[in-house]
Amino acid sequence: MLDPAFTSSLAQVLAPASLLTDAEDTRPYECDGLTLFRQQPGAVLLPDNEAQVVAILRLCHAAHVPVVARGAGTSLSGGALPAADGVVLSLAKLRRILAIDPLARTAIVEPGVRNLAISEAAAPYGLFYAPDPSSQIACSIGGNVAENAGGVHCLKYGLTVHNVRKVRAVTIEGDVVEFGSDALDSPGYDLLALINGSEGLLAVITQITVKLLAKPQYAQVALAAFDDLERAGAAVGAVIGAGIIPGGLEMMDQQATRAVEAFVHANYPLDAAAVLLIESDGTPVEVAAEMAEITHVLTASGATEIRVSQDETQRLLYWSGRKAAFPAVGRISPDYYCIDGTIPRAALPRVLRQIEDWSREFGLPCANVFHAGDGNLHPLILFDANKPGDKERTVEFGDRILQLCIDVGGTITGEHGVGIEKIGGMCAQFPPVVLERFLGIKRAFDAESLLNPGKGVPTLARCAEFGRMHVHHGELRHPELPRF
Amino acid sequence: MNSATQSPTRPQPEAVTALTARLRSEYGDRALTTHAIREQHSHGEGLADAAMPDIVVFPHTNDEVASIMRICHAARIPVIAFGVGTSLEGHVAALYGGVCLDLSQMNRVLEVNDADLDCRVQAGVTREQLNTELKGTGLFFPIDPGANATIGGMTSTRASGTNAVRYGTMRENVMGLTVVTADGRIMRTGNRARKSSAGYDLTRLLVGSEGTLGIITEIQLRLYGIPESISAAVCQFPDLKSAVDSVIVAMQLGIPVARIELLDDVQMDACIRYSQLTEFAAKPTLCFEFHGTEAGVREQAQMIESIATDHGGSAFQWATKPEERSRLWKARHNAYYAALALAPGKQGFATDACVPISRLTDCVLETQADVATTGLIAPIVGHVGDGNFHLVILFDPANLDERSKAEALAARVALRAIAMGGTCTGEHGIGVHKLDALRAEHGDAIALMQAIKRALDPLNLLNPGKTVPPV
Repeated sequence: MLDPAFTSSLAQVLAPASLLTDAEDTRPYECDGLTLFRQQPGAVLLPDNEAQVVAILRLCHAAHVPVVARGAGTSLSGGALPAADGVVLSLAKLRRILAIDPLARTAIVEPGVRNLAISEAAAPYGLFYAPDPSSQIACSIGGNVAENAGGVHCLKYGLTVHNVRKVRAVTIEGDVVEFGSDALDSPGYDLLALINGSEGLLAVITQITVKLLAKPQYAQVALAAFDDLERAGAAVGAVIGAGIIPGGLEMMDQQATRAVEAFVHANYPLDAAAVLLIESDGTPVEVAAEMAEITHVLTASGATEIRVSQDETQRLLYWSGRKAAFPAVGRISPDYYCIDGTIPRAALPRVLRQIEDWSREFGLPCANVFHAGDGNLHPLILFDANKPGDKERTVEFGDRILQLCIDVGGTITGEHGVGIEKIGGMCAQFPPVVLERFLGIKRAFDAESLLNPGKGVPTLARCAEFGRMHVHHGELRHPELPRF
Repeated sequence: MNSATQSPTRPQPEAVTALTARLRSEYGDRALTTHAIREQHSHGEGLADAAMPDIVVFPHTNDEVASIMRICHAARIPVIAFGVGTSLEGHVAALYGGVCLDLSQMNRVLEVNDADLDCRVQAGVTREQLNTELKGTGLFFPIDPGANATIGGMTSTRASGTNAVRYGTMRENVMGLTVVTADGRIMRTGNRARKSSAGYDLTRLLVGSEGTLGIITEIQLRLYGIPESISAAVCQFPDLKSAVDSVIVAMQLGIPVARIELLDDVQMDACIRYSQLTEFAAKPTLCFEFHGTEAGVREQAQMIESIATDHGGSAFQWATKPEERSRLWKARHNAYYAALALAPGKQGFATDACVPISRLTDCVLETQADVATTGLIAPIVGHVGDGNFHLVILFDPANLDERSKAEALAARVALRAIAMGGTCTGEHGIGVHKLDALRAEHGDAIALMQAIKRALDPLNLLNPGKTVPPV
């Protein structure tokens, strides 16, 4: 419950329709894409402009009220889970594309603009915005920056952090600050990099200048089948090791191809243990040369079948299964749990084999659909929440995978963020010396921890409670860790 | 928790004496206090505002760096990390004395992972050494500031180079670090996965922090496959405007050129003399390099050549053999020294403006006109594909009037770039010389930078007086 005096001070700033306090109005904001965590906030605020954002943050700061910024609510890690005693600050109404500069190849947008809308607006100039999380039709660019979102094209074109030039944001004290520059570099500490992936813990983003890229003239995708999962994993390393950085390099295992084939009818080779999708983009000459090399490497790596798309319809058809993988898996299993660990590419064969073994051990099917070129795994553990014990075994299976990711030199989240979901895992991945620096940075921006409290970076006390002060080679077992 | 930043002061002489005695007993001939060594470690290149450290120590391991840092932390003695001293903005001057940590003996390439296209090196490895050691792997590390700097120094200053237009700067190519914190603990940031959303981006925060947030001792770097085909070409223009306009068109078309370097007539003249490039004329010049498959390179080159011809450029003069290319790029890398040779006895003072590519022509032409009004010699050279260009302003250090004219010119260049939506430093960093420009450019964010400095170095012992203006 919020103090009525505080709520009425908000009413001085916001129109009645932009200040939601009734339980039935705030209900839609109780969770994001991670639906297992739900919490109704004290109020939902829908400012129309930056000046209102400034005013709101000043009021919250003065009254010590927690603030959770929210974009489209598609986060998979509970990044937008409200605080019971706080407000949700929705940026959904800040959704103008302010400028597109085809000469500088940049777009200035407000945080509520959908990812795909930027590319649509840039298309008349032959330009596009490269990072393309699967949720791009819905997710907002502000949320993308907050989570440092990735996507299929990030292998070649970089993550959000590589594609954002400048961010304008409001601190918890209500100061408007610009990070980055319109030029290629910006002097002093790289605060722009800190803001990317900061999960709403450092400042509230109100404006973003993104880089646009020239749309490749031509693209082709190769679909390669393998009769062995490990061999497919090794082929990923072989492609990159040959110095080829494809436009996209994705893998689906048999569990996944079978699920999506029934859904999209793309004629995937269903007897294959794994399928790689490898895209080449550029001028037709470059694509032809690169595709020849890709095919050569794939053959040498033991591909049993290689199909190269011959036209745009076919290219989109090959990709359709990858794009629809999550909903397709949703059709074959009552529940699934998506993991987001990322590993050095060379460890792919070993980790995939281990996941397969554990899948048998736990008796839980696991579909692998992921950004193989980046080493970003998305194992989908299939389970039935109504079956006794399934959920617990799924959690343990997931924990093992994440610990394996840490052990081979990777990370517990490649692109979905920590949010509330992986706050305990942070204690396993980072030693106190690093966590202290994270907390120091947090304090430098937000000394009272009002911005998105309890997310992103665990306090040392929390890690101690978990008994997880970086046990490096230990078994990852922390049943307290909320996962769903 | 210590919340107040100590303003930098010189440590007590007794504390320094005790510390130097201790370091000399622990490190023997790797801890030196001779005047010559301290003088050599008192400045980088560029404006020679020297300030000597009290002692120079040459650590060999992370543990030694951590141990020295702990001793200095306990004694409240400043610590300045030093690579090979090629920085241009006074980064290494020991403004408050203290310990210079010369990391040049930490010069091992620790691992090369060809399948993952990455490697891990100690901070003292130089960029040329790294590429020599990579020979035979089919991989290379592209970032190439003019000097043969150390990877540690390049990381600390967020260095760039001639092919950033294709491969990015150190910001894009450092994957992780080993860092010794202000209180002498060793931490690793980042990891070998290509992406991570876990925690704040400490790696990028440390990249470009100029030794003020931690001592970088190891760096995980991204590597690239040596392209199947590489060619370089030189194109000369009747005037500066047509050269820069050609670059802008090429960048807007998104042609993936690996290098586009601009040299104005004065710089070209200097390079012709210094590097015997007698086949060229002293005219505004663009040097290109193309990387890719043979067909791709041919295609890129044809597109660029037709753009250049439209702008009055000469026919391309090709350098396809490796030795021809390296002669050309060596001449480009030596541009700073070539400029100095134009006026023996004078010093060079490099500016580092970087503007959005759409403003590049305005910025370069206004700057050239500005130089003409000063009577100074100041050739223009730049990584123009990035919107980044340098003046090397020559001045006589003994002539105070000339020096102040040079400094005023540099300040105008920085402010002009900032006014055009750009920055005062594309790649050289802030050090001590650009603190005012940083203030002009980043007014609001400076308080946050100061707060971060306080959080990571509450006693202000790490390279004090640099990078972030005092509160």
